[in-house]
Amino acid sequence: MRNLGLLLKGEVQRLLKYNIVQVGFGVTMLWVLVMFLLGREEAGFFVPLFVFMDAALMSVLLMGAGLIYEKQENTVKSMLVAPVGLPHVIASKLISAVYVALQSALFIGLVAFFFFDVTVRFHILLPVVALVALVHAAIGFALTLVTDDFTSFIALLAVYMIVFTFPSIFYALDLTGEILEMLLIISPAHASMLWIETAFDEAARTVLLVLGSVYLLILSAALIWFVGRKYPESAIRE
Amino acid sequence: MKSVFDIEDLGFTYRKGVRAVDGVSFTVQKGEIFGLLGPSGAGKSTTQKILTRLLHRFEGTVRFEGRDLRSYGNEFYERIGVGFELPVHFSKLTGKENMEFFARLYSKTADIDSLLQRVGLFEDRDRLVGEYSKGMKMRLNFVRAMLNDPEVLFLDEATNGLDPKNARIIKDLIREFQSSGGTVLLSTHLMGDVEELCDRVGFITDGRIREIASPRDLKLRHGRRELVVEYREGKTQHTERFNLDTIGEDERFFELVRNKDIETMHSGETTLEEIFIKVTGETVDA
Ligand SMILES: Nc1ncnc2c1ncn2[C@@H]1O[C@H](COP(=O)(O)OP(=O)(O)OP(=O)(O)O)[C@@H](O)[C@H]1O
Ligand SMILES: [Mg+2]
Repeated sequence: MRNLGLLLKGEVQRLLKYNIVQVGFGVTMLWVLVMFLLGREEAGFFVPLFVFMDAALMSVLLMGAGLIYEKQENTVKSMLVAPVGLPHVIASKLISAVYVALQSALFIGLVAFFFFDVTVRFHILLPVVALVALVHAAIGFALTLVTDDFTSFIALLAVYMIVFTFPSIFYALDLTGEILEMLLIISPAHASMLWIETAFDEAARTVLLVLGSVYLLILSAALIWFVGRKYPESAIRE
Repeated sequence: MKSVFDIEDLGFTYRKGVRAVDGVSFTVQKGEIFGLLGPSGAGKSTTQKILTRLLHRFEGTVRFEGRDLRSYGNEFYERIGVGFELPVHFSKLTGKENMEFFARLYSKTADIDSLLQRVGLFEDRDRLVGEYSKGMKMRLNFVRAMLNDPEVLFLDEATNGLDPKNARIIKDLIREFQSSGGTVLLSTHLMGDVEELCDRVGFITDGRIREIASPRDLKLRHGRRELVVEYREGKTQHTERFNLDTIGEDERFFELVRNKDIETMHSGETTLEEIFIKVTGETVDA
């Protein structure tokens, strides 16, 4: 536990020095700015989407950026010969990502609540965002382990977005039919989206929600298992 | 003498199919500087990565202080220091921040400032590592290896990219580490480093150790026992070689000494590089 605390401290320091936290915060400010530009009526409709983008896409991106730097600079090797457990190292990265996402979601939620009269159920929003950020940080982690550089990371991320995220966004904007909905649930992005919506909507569909959350949890576990196996190998370029 | 590492029949094949280490056996004694000397691609770094537990799928046995290496937990890393062949720093942190970042992870740490001072980085401690030169980064690698005041030091091409002055500093520090009781395993392709530092050296090529000896023994065994005499006659310079075993009866030698203007006389021991070529049948760039 002492180690995890130290690693978290180091990880946050690193994320700050590499401007990764700042970029994340900048993007959050951007959503808030868009909300003000859209005005009271429209903003309420878009808030879940913004929270989703922040918790999901930004988690993948920021996690990926941080890890690619680390890989290029060979610092993981130096970490691997220090007396720290790999699970702690991985945990510190995931927890930092979740923390950054929570901060952003809380900020967007507060702005929506106070300035736009949006109903925000914070006790649901925060755990939901934590889970969504966790699964997406794990996706970002896994993506960096199967790619060699930032370019191929971005390419894979684009594929992920086209396959999973865009349909979700269209769905949120009511651009697709209801039939797709059951199919969409296999997308982590979509399950995330559904979950986030419930934080703003009393009339949530429980079946989908339970299905979605179980799915996200299993997916996180599977991804973290993969990361644990592959992370040291990729660091040493075995 | 107590052995620190006992390595028997070590083998390793990378996932891409490269057989990097093939049947390597050697022992590292407590308090010695053991060198792995070999050309590029010989398997030195791979061997070091196995001994520092970065590569796990190896064949053969490795014992650290008599116990199977695999049976150690993370506490193993409290006791060893690892210097990598390439820089391993956060470029957007300063030199000092980098060292503090890793020092935190150990239960005991050396004095970072005095280490930085010793390798000549103290003045630059607050500059971003991204602005460091290659030699500065390599010196910081050495500090990284020494951070936890280790008992065993692994150094992979520690003087790589260093000018003679800084290489001197690092070599002095390695010696100092040994005199204070430390054990060193160093990999290099530089004959000079081996001659100067190592108690024993293992020649490695193509993943196999060809010979293990002290640098001196090797020279005596493989070296030519001769004396080289350089003298001047008018404007031209001449060189003659004499066999050390028969020099006492060699009239020509005495004649030169009596009558010629001798410039230098030195033993014609072969360099380690020449021995290397003889032992392994390969050439190497020093
Ligand atoms: N990650 C890797 N994947 C596949 N093959 C590798 C990998 N790393 C090293 N090798 C191969 O294994 C062999 C031994 O490499 P190693 O790095 O151990 O050599 P070395 O003696 O340290 O060389 P150098 O003096 O250049 O550092 C080489 O043939 C090399 O190409
Ligand atoms: Mg090497």
